[in-house]
Amino acid sequence: MNSRLDSRRLTTLEEQAYTEVKEHFAEHLKQFPASRMTVERLERDIAKIALAADMAASQTPQGNPIPTNDGTRWHRSVDLTDNTCLCHRPVTGGVEYAALEYFPDRGRHEIWNRGGNVVEVLKVFTQEQRQALQVWMEDLAVQVGEFLEEKYPRQNMSRAASSFMHHLTHAISQQSAQTLDPNHSRSIRI
Amino acid sequence: METIPQTDSQPAATPTERLAYSIQEAADLLGVNYFSVYRLIQRGKLKVCRALRGKLLVPRAELLKLLQTQ
Repeated sequence: MNSRLDSRRLTTLEEQAYTEVKEHFAEHLKQFPASRMTVERLERDIAKIALAADMAASQTPQGNPIPTNDGTRWHRSVDLTDNTCLCHRPVTGGVEYAALEYFPDRGRHEIWNRGGNVVEVLKVFTQEQRQALQVWMEDLAVQVGEFLEEKYPRQNMSRAASSFMHHLTHAISQQSAQTLDPNHSRSIRI
Repeated sequence: METIPQTDSQPAATPTERLAYSIQEAADLLGVNYFSVYRLIQRGKLKVCRALRGKLLVPRAELLKLLQTQ
């Protein structure tokens, strides 16, 4: 546990509560670090992704174009996350780029943001991913607090809650450190 | 066993006809991961409310609106 949070060990009851929180929010614990790691990779690799997209746009498009909700059609440049990709399409006087998100329930893509400057498109997309992570983090903290209040009424379980949130952050740090490998570019596909 | 007849003014309530869903449930209904739902919220595409102690809830009407408009 982080000594800045509280250097005292968790009591037996707090340990029990902490274990219950980890079990109850196991799916968050699995999904959040992976999502945050993806955002961190995007932030780190903006220039690399932009270059890959620029190169893709300069080549003859391969595969079927992707139709979007506004009726435009796009060529896939680079995968950004498991359900988003950076795409391009020729327009008068140049190339337009867009981040597209795939919605499996509707089986189609939606434009997240678009523009003629690929770096700007990526920056806006990445910033919004970071903000969404923050919304998630805040909501999860509330959910954890609510869960503990119901399970342990009239008992202060804030240290168990803090430990869980710290565990979440620590898990991210460990996974992020592993991705600092400069050869990590598996998701970049032209 | 006899069943109570339903009237037009009182439609049958099924377990799926809830007023709101948690983020996890909304993700399952939309077929996306949690992060996608939080991204929709962040972009204002999915309006949420805060219930009880502040937990985010997605109104059923908002989910239906999202599906109809996209």
